[in-house]
Amino acid sequence: MQQKHQIKQFILENFLFSDDPTAIGDQDSLIRGGIIDSTGIHELIFFLEDQFKLQIVPEEMTPANFDSIQTVDEFVSRKLAS
Amino acid sequence: MDSLPTRVAQVAGRAPQRVALVDGDRRLDYAGFWRQAQHFAAHLRAQGVRVGDRVALILPNRLEAAVAIYGGWLAGAVIVPLNVQARARDFIPWLSHSGACHVVFEAGHRDVHEALAALPDAPGYTELAEAQSLPGEDNSATDFVAPLPDAPAMILYTSGTTGDPKGVMLSHANLLANAESVVAYLQLQAEDSVLSVLPFYYAYGASVLHTHLLSGACVVLGPSLMFPLLVLEAIEREQATGFSGVPSTYALLLEPMAERASSLASLRYLTQAGGAMSPALTQRLRGVLPAPRLYVMYGQTEATSRISWLPPERLDEKLGSVGIPVAGVQWKIVGEDGAELPRGESGEVCVRGANVMPGYWNNPEASAKVLREGWLHTGDLGYLDAEGYLYLQGRRSDMIKTGAHRVHPTDVEEVIAEMPGIREVAVVGVDDEVMGQVIKAYIVSEGERPPRAEDRIKAHCRARLAPYKIPRLIAFVDALPRTASGKVRRVQLMEQTATP
Repeated sequence: MQQKHQIKQFILENFLFSDDPTAIGDQDSLIRGGIIDSTGIHELIFFLEDQFKLQIVPEEMTPANFDSIQTVDEFVSRKLAS
Repeated sequence: MDSLPTRVAQVAGRAPQRVALVDGDRRLDYAGFWRQAQHFAAHLRAQGVRVGDRVALILPNRLEAAVAIYGGWLAGAVIVPLNVQARARDFIPWLSHSGACHVVFEAGHRDVHEALAALPDAPGYTELAEAQSLPGEDNSATDFVAPLPDAPAMILYTSGTTGDPKGVMLSHANLLANAESVVAYLQLQAEDSVLSVLPFYYAYGASVLHTHLLSGACVVLGPSLMFPLLVLEAIEREQATGFSGVPSTYALLLEPMAERASSLASLRYLTQAGGAMSPALTQRLRGVLPAPRLYVMYGQTEATSRISWLPPERLDEKLGSVGIPVAGVQWKIVGEDGAELPRGESGEVCVRGANVMPGYWNNPEASAKVLREGWLHTGDLGYLDAEGYLYLQGRRSDMIKTGAHRVHPTDVEEVIAEMPGIREVAVVGVDDEVMGQVIKAYIVSEGERPPRAEDRIKAHCRARLAPYKIPRLIAFVDALPRTASGKVRRVQLMEQTATP
């Protein structure tokens, strides 16, 4: 829960410029809504690598992993478990 | 009458089974493409669309976006492709100014619904779910008339929210002439297939679509540039022979391209337009992918799309040039007094030819400013070398080029100025290694600034502007630099590097 909260907080602050947690739902598409763009995804990846001590390889940059806060959270959990 | 739709109909008759479009798992051959276009045309007619009516398309790149353009033309409509990322405050003036009687958009687009509700004469609409085909009707009883060459085919809006929308009106003759010029120098053939990551609602993306359909080639709709590896995998999977991008496209793909260069061997040509690509990036791209021919090009929506191209074999010796005019286009460089300047001297680039628009839709004042004595005044500054190759040196206008997008500073300034506590605001583009330019807002506050003032401004913009129009950088200043007549000196702001 803490992990998802941190991811959401980063997205709220850096892409929505807001501290209102209702500004985005966990399932809302970050891609289709234009919340994250081609440079924004790199900012998110830097954050995930720093925050959760991960190494994300280009092959993992897919819509399935980065479409929503929910999918990002699940992706991070899978990475940490492996 | 010759036009893009009549020519693509001929392709469909000649090679019905050749693949026209690929969108993920969906593939559409020319016969299917043409059949869907006819059915959609019949549907539009049944909805009351008549010859000369405007039909707005608010769609991301998907099969239906291409079919709807050609279907609309078959019904005799003028197509108005609008930026799918735009907001209600953009859609309302665009739909109202164009007088669109029908709108096609993706289901769940809240800003389109908001705009439709706000319009006094709400147009009819077609709302498409993901991967849903366009609605169609039996067209056997429908009489389609080939469009006249001078009839308007398309209106492309180049500016946003202010009371004076500028929609570039392009005729069927403009579109066909420019597409033929591009097909000639790219030497496009039916065997070609291009991976398209540029939206069809911009002139460059539209040009990529039409030139390849005209050639009977295949257009593969690319994944988002957010996922560079998927873009490259699509090139490999579809054995694409061509790829088109703006400078930031290549900046974003350079590294992954370098790692997978051997899997991109199918590429025969790369095209680049949409702003100057630095000679350094051009050389790095050539180093990574030396085999495909790299076409550096220059254009403007007012000139349909393409004005010039640099023959790839001259790229190294003419690095930094945008080349020579495309077939059927003439140009000259003029000074402040309007007189033509000799080679080597800098001035405004003026263009004439079959690609030049007849004018802005319902805006004679704006048209008269740029179309004078048979020449399009581009607002771009540059000079011709001894061999007649053009070198660009900037623009007279304040338009910001960020990635594949064009942003008028006033669109952003208006929104920021609506906030309380803002005394003055000026928005400029500042250089950025990847995006070409990013948007920077200079703000003079009224009294004390609230905490997190920068975030508040960005959040205010996010709620009202397309994502690519949100300022990346914000600087608070005591005053804006102004000329003696009181105009903001944007050039000075662009040169300021302090306080990101």
